[in-house]
Amino acid sequence: MSVFPLPVALFLSALVSLPVAAADMPRPPAEASPKVLNVEIPVPETTLDPAAIQDLYSAQMASVIFEGLLGYDYLARPAKLVPLLADGMPEISDGGKQWLVHLRHGVRFAPDEALGNKPREVHASDVVFTLERLLDPEVHSPFSFLLEGKIVGLDAAARRAADQHAHFNYQAPVAGLQVIDDYTLRIQLNAPDVNFGHALAQPNLGIVAPEVVRHYGDQIGGHPVGTGPYRLVRWVRGSALSFEANPVYRKRLWNFDPGTDPEARRIASRMQGHAIPAVPRVEVRVIAEQQSALLAFRKGELDILYLQNKLAPVALDGRGALKPDLRKLGVQHEVTTEPEILFNYLNVEDPLVGGMAPERIALRRAILMAQDDEAFIRVIRKGQAVHLPYPVPAGVVGHDPAYRSLLEYDPAAANALLDAFGYRPGADGFRRTPQGQPFAVRYWRQSEGETREFEELYKRGLDQIHVHFEGHPVPFPDLLKAERACQVTTRLGAWIADYPDGDDFMQLFYGPNTHANNLACFQNAEWDAMYRKSVTLVPGPERDALYHRMARMLETLGVAKVSHTRLHHMLLQPKVVGFRKSMVSAVAEWPFVDLQ
Amino acid sequence: MNAYLLRRVLQMIPTLFGVVLLVFLLFNWVGGDPAYVLAGKFSNPRDIENIRHQLGVDQPLYVQLGIFLRQVITFDFGNSWATQEPVSHIFLSRLGPSLALMIPMLVLETLLGVVLALAVAHVRDSWIDRTLTLLTTSAMSISLLVYIIVGQYVFAFALGWFPVQGWSSTPQGWVHYAVLPILLGLAVSLAPAIRLYRTFVLDEIHQDYVRTARAKGVPEWRVMLVHVLRNASIPIITNVLASLPALLIGAFLLERFFSIPGIGREVILAVERSDFPVIKAVTVAVAVATMVFNLLADLAYKWVDPRVELS
Repeated sequence: MSVFPLPVALFLSALVSLPVAAADMPRPPAEASPKVLNVEIPVPETTLDPAAIQDLYSAQMASVIFEGLLGYDYLARPAKLVPLLADGMPEISDGGKQWLVHLRHGVRFAPDEALGNKPREVHASDVVFTLERLLDPEVHSPFSFLLEGKIVGLDAAARRAADQHAHFNYQAPVAGLQVIDDYTLRIQLNAPDVNFGHALAQPNLGIVAPEVVRHYGDQIGGHPVGTGPYRLVRWVRGSALSFEANPVYRKRLWNFDPGTDPEARRIASRMQGHAIPAVPRVEVRVIAEQQSALLAFRKGELDILYLQNKLAPVALDGRGALKPDLRKLGVQHEVTTEPEILFNYLNVEDPLVGGMAPERIALRRAILMAQDDEAFIRVIRKGQAVHLPYPVPAGVVGHDPAYRSLLEYDPAAANALLDAFGYRPGADGFRRTPQGQPFAVRYWRQSEGETREFEELYKRGLDQIHVHFEGHPVPFPDLLKAERACQVTTRLGAWIADYPDGDDFMQLFYGPNTHANNLACFQNAEWDAMYRKSVTLVPGPERDALYHRMARMLETLGVAKVSHTRLHHMLLQPKVVGFRKSMVSAVAEWPFVDLQ
Repeated sequence: MNAYLLRRVLQMIPTLFGVVLLVFLLFNWVGGDPAYVLAGKFSNPRDIENIRHQLGVDQPLYVQLGIFLRQVITFDFGNSWATQEPVSHIFLSRLGPSLALMIPMLVLETLLGVVLALAVAHVRDSWIDRTLTLLTTSAMSISLLVYIIVGQYVFAFALGWFPVQGWSSTPQGWVHYAVLPILLGLAVSLAPAIRLYRTFVLDEIHQDYVRTARAKGVPEWRVMLVHVLRNASIPIITNVLASLPALLIGAFLLERFFSIPGIGREVILAVERSDFPVIKAVTVAVAVATMVFNLLADLAYKWVDPRVELS
């Protein structure tokens, strides 16, 4: 008996005393600083090399370190291109084939050991290097598509390096990239493209210095040196990043276009004239679990929180408004729609549902009409999404809020369509092909994650039209591989804007993009001609009308039906001012906010 | 002894080769082609081919296996496919936070488990023993996830005794951030340890040598702490050493919920990203550690009980 009380007492006293000791510990210095913006990201960053980035959160980090020639007005909706490192908007000539860019004078890279610990001015040759690097096969940039096939001579240079498994020759001149002087660059395109400016505005084309890239070699992703408003001062990979205002950042003041939107005007009236960046230090933490992030936010450890949909019911009431406890704390709530589409597509090359025979088109249309988008939003998205019938989402240039789909959920009409084209039910209750053969529609999905629920809802739709369903879960890499090979019969695809222009969405159905990102493998000469014409048009009524015809054609041929777009909830502490969700997800908002 | 050691070390080579072969085959059969993930959403067949070439996955399988074996021998697994960070740096930088959690948990679990097991075994069948049995059974029935979610909410958020999440590599930061995860991890691991060690102690407490010691008037504390504990140590050592390789894969759930940049979280990320260099390195490291700790356990038996013959 004598040995029992002591260890128990020790254990209990340890349990009691440790929390008290911990509570007495001083908080880390960053949290005690008065002007520190604390934000979170839910997925660890991968790299801070702009060209190599493919994930959203790394791109956000890079967007505050690097700047491209162009960017987007922080407040303007729909998105509007503005000059960043360019001194004014590019001069476009030759029907959109020639772009003359003037650089701002005096813009400097932040000091780094690769630059002799001194700032260095940005020149046109840095821009050329940056553009060429995006197509360098050794970088294998996921965003090489921004420039692929566009600049005269650049693809040939990249192909030479790839074919010979050699280094890209940055010394060899590229005909389409002509340095006129240190501050002037002429870009010659292969074909007219009035929307080329969107490519120049992407974070992946943040300007880098060649000597820095050479100095760090394959570890460049861990040594970002740019001209942006912040510089990286501490990086615990996969855990925390600390940014400080770039001491050599050019003088830049808040001056954005709020348009007629009252909320944007309110923000502008408060912020116009503020220095960018207003907050001298930003602490970014990787918080993978939403519960942890929400508790940290409620405890004041975070200033801005992206509230993921699955946790929205914890913070929001049934009407989507903040719950009283958060309202009482003065928490601000901003809700926007994502610049994305989720769409059901059917493979036009599939042996069962593909082809342009009338009965195949009817089958595809019936399948799409059997999909209940409202149920999807209600059951799977828990109400945190909005129905979107148009291929260009809200806030993106070219969106049509008045568009009505021909393929809205209507199982009765879908059944009638199948009856009319000879898809008669067999003895087992499932329909046969017009030739009398049994068939099943194979629904592909990723074997991991939440997509099992997608499958169940899709099956319910097919059950209503008596079409046999076959689920086909596969690992994500295999799914991508099958899609590229046009082997996927149907699935729910998703596309988030790389740049906020309708072109980024319409290209999803462009014939030459088959085996790349044209998941439906849709190749139609008439549609492709319309797409090619749309690329030559500046955004406006003529292009909108063309987009409208293209969207309608996708429906009449039963290629795809756009389903919905998700809501994006941001929670902000009362002290955060000047926040507005960026139209480009890859661009972080922190340089534009202030703390009261 | 030397011959024994040499034989055991040599036995590790075919075992390790089996592990390498298994990992290699599993990755190639069910892992999918990483080039499609790395290429991004706009990739075309030429991009995919280029990436496959750079990763070396377009080489014949026997060449890829040869590269894998060379990496095992040199323990140089190159860079992560997803982040380009050297795999050695991933290990070095992520292992510290994991060990900062796992070592205190293991030490506390072992010490408290042994002490409490001795105590309750000593008063077996009393109300204290029955109460502790009930408590440990209940504690074992609850998922770690519940401990974490409730513990984080109550102790970090509601009571404010700890930070909700975060990490710092300084000693002060360790006390600030690691205490709650350690206590929660301990709450889960302590119960089965007590139950297990209690059984080991009870197996010994009925032995003749214990009765003889008591008959000779040896004090009760000496009977328990010297005679019983020494003989119960062999299975305890086995259990502790068997759990040591787990230090290398961290405590995934604790690391994830408390945003601790440990190796457990990194392993899961590597699997999600099909980041084969990291997966290879972790698997090989855990396999080697398991074999080494098994050998150490055998040597420890000899040290604890000289009657054990190593043959």
